[in-house]
Amino acid sequence: MRTLVFIPAWNEEASVTEVIGDVREHVPAADLLVVDDGSTDATAARAREAGAVVASLPFNQGLGAALQTGYLYALREGYGCCAHLDADGQHPAAEVSRLLEEVVADRADLVIGSRYRGAGEEVEAEPGEGDDYKPTISRRIGTSVFRFFLTVATRQRFTDTTSGMRAANRRVMALFSENYSPDFAEIESLQLAVRQGLRVEEVPVRMLERAGGSSFLTPLRSAFFIFKGLIVLLVGSFRPRQVEVER
Amino acid sequence: MIASVGSAGLLLFAAGEEAKVHLTSQTRIVAAILAIAFMAMILELIRRNRLQERYSVVWFVAGLGMLAGAAFPGLLTIVADLMGVRDTNVALFSIVLLLLLGLALNFSVIMSRQAAQITRLAQERALEQAREQADGEQNGDRPGRSEGQSSRSS
Repeated sequence: MRTLVFIPAWNEEASVTEVIGDVREHVPAADLLVVDDGSTDATAARAREAGAVVASLPFNQGLGAALQTGYLYALREGYGCCAHLDADGQHPAAEVSRLLEEVVADRADLVIGSRYRGAGEEVEAEPGEGDDYKPTISRRIGTSVFRFFLTVATRQRFTDTTSGMRAANRRVMALFSENYSPDFAEIESLQLAVRQGLRVEEVPVRMLERAGGSSFLTPLRSAFFIFKGLIVLLVGSFRPRQVEVER
Repeated sequence: MIASVGSAGLLLFAAGEEAKVHLTSQTRIVAAILAIAFMAMILELIRRNRLQERYSVVWFVAGLGMLAGAAFPGLLTIVADLMGVRDTNVALFSIVLLLLLGLALNFSVIMSRQAAQITRLAQERALEQAREQADGEQNGDRPGRSEGQSSRSS
């Protein structure tokens, strides 16, 4: 099955080369696409140098639009499955290949890499690979709020609702390339997929601390983030189900 | 002093309750002129291609409403009665406020639609670019291939 790994990147020139190398090493069979979300630095150039195909959005559109671009590319170029991970180096590519295995084996349509679920159970910690992921307090609060509401909305247990490490098959590509909120990509997409009757599964993964830069979440922003997320979930619950995605 | 001002205000208020229409002929003329000037401005904007026809309709309706209100003050009284508002001024302000609220919402809807269109446009452009790069690399892999050959094969 042809596989695409895409990386949404916004001003990540410092880490994008490394992430591409990591993916090449651990998922050698996959084609690589970097979705450059209107970066003003040399992200696109770095990615091309590293041998990735680059889709450059002319201006910054937000993570949701960038991810959708990746799904669109995968769908139109006829890839059987695709996966994406963050460009900041938080997501080890070795874990991405594990997500892809689930999709290739057709055990799920959409697989989410969760940094919270069953940590340490299935994952063998590889020594010397950097620190394990330690979330900040505001992120932990936000995560538990979303976890609760998303569980209520979908009647399925999710632990890592905002995870940016996912793998998907063509059903998901078709769904996400048409319906993807630019404002609240992660949460709404989960709800959407579950409501469409797709099999969504979480797989425990190991994540690393951010390699560079700081998280964009300040307390005020977190509150706004949570509020927006709740609106999205509420509206999503009343949205009509679209035509069943073709199986 | 304060008490006398207060009582004067109270008297005015009472007077206002009895007389239903406050519009003097002078305010009516001013309102009519403003409405006509407003509609002329809209026509001018359309003529200069600064405003699209489809977005002008709503403003024309607003201008005509203003004109109608100035020409037939009785209309306002009828509307106020229908709303159950005793003071026509209150009725006028609430109608205008609601209209503006509706317009602002309408703009947000249009804006959202256009934002979605712009996003899709940007995505299409990015995808085209990526496809070109991918195709180019594929062709580059095969030795002895010139530009002419690759364009013929595609």
